[in-house]
Amino acid sequence: MRTTRRTFVHGSMATAAATTALTNLSWRSAMAQASGGTIRAVMQGDLRAFDPIWTTANITAYHGAMIYDTLFALDADMKPQPQMVDTWTVSDDGLTYEFVLRDGLQFSDGTPVTSRDVVASIRRWAVRDGAGQHMMLRVKDIVAKDDKTFAIELNEPYGLVIDIMAKTSTPLLYIMREKEAMTDPMEQVTEYIGSGPFIFNREETRQGAQYVYDKNPNYVPRSEPASGMAGGKVVKVDRVIFENIDDSQTAMAALQAGEIDFMELPPIDLLSVLEADPNITIDVLNQTGNYGLMRLNFLYPPFDNVKARQAMLYLIDQEEFMQATFGDPRYYRKCPSNFACGTTMENDANTEWFKAAPDPERAKQLFEEAGYDGRPVVVLHATNIDFMNNAAQIVAQRLRDIGVNAELATSDWGGVVTRRAVQDPPEQGGWNIFITWAGAASANNPIALAAHAANGTKGWFGWPTDEKHEQLRDEWAAAQGLEAQQEIARQIQENAWNFVPHVWLGQWVSPVAYRTNLEGILKIPEIIPFWNIEKT
Amino acid sequence: MLGYIIRRLGSTVLVMGIVGVFVFLLLHLSPGDPAAIVAGDNATPDQIAQVRERLGLDDPLPVQFIRWSGGVLRGDLGISIFSNEPVAKLIGERLEPTISLSLTTIVFAVVIAVSFGVLAAWRAGTLIDRALMGFSVLGFSVPVFVVGYLLIYLVSINLGWLPVQGYAPIAEGIGPWLQRLILPTIALGLAYVALIARITRTSMLEVLSEDYIRTARAKGVATRPMLLKHALKNAGVPIVTVIGIGIALLIGGVVITETVFNIPGVGRLVVDAIAKRDYPIIQGVILLFSGVYVLVNLLIDLSYSFLDPRIRY
Repeated sequence: MRTTRRTFVHGSMATAAATTALTNLSWRSAMAQASGGTIRAVMQGDLRAFDPIWTTANITAYHGAMIYDTLFALDADMKPQPQMVDTWTVSDDGLTYEFVLRDGLQFSDGTPVTSRDVVASIRRWAVRDGAGQHMMLRVKDIVAKDDKTFAIELNEPYGLVIDIMAKTSTPLLYIMREKEAMTDPMEQVTEYIGSGPFIFNREETRQGAQYVYDKNPNYVPRSEPASGMAGGKVVKVDRVIFENIDDSQTAMAALQAGEIDFMELPPIDLLSVLEADPNITIDVLNQTGNYGLMRLNFLYPPFDNVKARQAMLYLIDQEEFMQATFGDPRYYRKCPSNFACGTTMENDANTEWFKAAPDPERAKQLFEEAGYDGRPVVVLHATNIDFMNNAAQIVAQRLRDIGVNAELATSDWGGVVTRRAVQDPPEQGGWNIFITWAGAASANNPIALAAHAANGTKGWFGWPTDEKHEQLRDEWAAAQGLEAQQEIARQIQENAWNFVPHVWLGQWVSPVAYRTNLEGILKIPEIIPFWNIEKT
Repeated sequence: MLGYIIRRLGSTVLVMGIVGVFVFLLLHLSPGDPAAIVAGDNATPDQIAQVRERLGLDDPLPVQFIRWSGGVLRGDLGISIFSNEPVAKLIGERLEPTISLSLTTIVFAVVIAVSFGVLAAWRAGTLIDRALMGFSVLGFSVPVFVVGYLLIYLVSINLGWLPVQGYAPIAEGIGPWLQRLILPTIALGLAYVALIARITRTSMLEVLSEDYIRTARAKGVATRPMLLKHALKNAGVPIVTVIGIGIALLIGGVVITETVFNIPGVGRLVVDAIAKRDYPIIQGVILLFSGVYVLVNLLIDLSYSFLDPRIRY
């Protein structure tokens, strides 16, 4: 046979057409079979660690919410409600809390949940969690009285016991079997058996690719309707799969094609594409969102001087930072409150600087009053996370504009995480400024969030020290009732914006995108629950 | 020949040893402390120090290197810092998608590229030649991820012919396996096609001007046997060489292609590990890639003597 251009082209086209027809047919069939009671979701990142006590990663907290349950939980109004607990009492002197677990609780291996499991879980969690550590300083003992009853005995009255056990900032207090809860808190547990609404299917999970959760047939939901993390966790699908799709454009295309049902972080700059798709809903589940935070190193000049720290309040224009990364004003806001905006502790005490900023002349004057001598100011610059990349460059430029010798120390986020822990002088591997973010809901609690502490070199990076601040935090922890807490929160903020432990860079929300055939998605900060969702 | 193979295998062990030292030093001297990452965002300096001690990161570098290399020699690549799973197991789970993508890409690229190269040489100077070589330049110039996104947009979203992303193990059947690999194979293979097609054309042009080809034509040998049997076989050495060189290109491209098409292969494993400073995984994967590259080059060298009997070792 003689090879000609025509036979060559015809042969190639026939092969391609046959292959496409074959594969197209089986693909459609496979998708049709898979769509039934399964939700495929692309979350914020890969689930690298499975122990929600060992790590503060939000994605691991999501995993925890699937397979574990909590003693208390925040409802849609951010009020703590009993979850695994049936009833509880507080002694008249406020020193003893006694709890009774509700009937029917059992782990997914069929064993009943007992108070011994609870006590061991609280102890392990309290080693890793900042709020837990704060509570344990006041705890005399935690005892299992019988299979269903346990008690927390305190040395002094402490108003946050229930709030801390219900909080959604990571790590949450998930209840594990005593066997796993006895694991060293610095080590990960290796078995993942909980009493939550789903069971972790390790057989079908592929690390780095997909994480499979099956409905827990033994789970007994509460009778109340679902509200936030509280109420009845009624599972309405057979299976949820967290698909790990690194590339957000690919994930977006998969959502449009119906290959996935839910995407937690669609790229803001491409949101209009999804908004135009009638099969996709855009929604904000976490209404308080996140806030950007600039930490100043208190240990070395210039920020060992309060004037230089106050200068940063006047230098920063939050609008500029938000615009640079989030673009669309529907999804960000400026916020002067040290407890974030939209939270119960939000207030406007001592925020005159916010109304004046940006005021570069005032900032320049304050740097001069601080005796700034032209030494380099090292700004840690993570290039692989958009917000941190943009924010570090803006800060450096604004500092240069007023004559401060800003130097960017560029690396990826892993490099920043390492260097921010260095307490040496900036010229010897330390730093002056680093930028991060956190969930805004967590800023509402001056005990739970590590960045709220001002306890020096034992505290969080930047190591601010302020005795009055620490005293006020303790007063807040002991306060009874919301109004009392709000009053102390005002005092904390009044004092904070005088000594300036950090500088806010704005607050934003991240819309999620999902197929319109998903109904009943609950709205709660920090966690995305997959119970209560129907796939029609 | 046997002596040559033994010598080459010996030098391969040496090369792998050097690669091991470089990989270890590169990772441990670059900025980034896995203990700080592992300990989490709220960790205090004391907690970070505890984690560092537990991971053995406080030990002197030589001690860490001896511990690591001793494990490697026993086939133990260590435990992932984050997932707590053995690295060998994690790599093993990711091998099938990467091998599948690499093989389909090589087959696709060689079949298309050699056909293009032979056709272009046969029709040298014509519109076909210019079109094919123009296509090759385009294929080499456009980045893998651009081709990938274009294919996803056109074929998956607009036409709905193929899935956007993912991988189906071959155990689920050839159909599902192939349907997930078509687009990534094309995206990854285009640059490879361009590389091989151009060298095939050049090499064929040289051979086609040889006297024995003219003699074959004069004797009335048909075009196809003349091109494939007489000319292509003798043009094979440079083509095989560039296929070998292209393996490095392929390894780099696999990382990007796996990310764009969400294929859970070794490439994505190492990218994730780098972001998290999961040293045991990074070291294991780089050793694997280096071993593959060294082995492929050995096989290419050995193939020369089969393609050209005048080459002897």
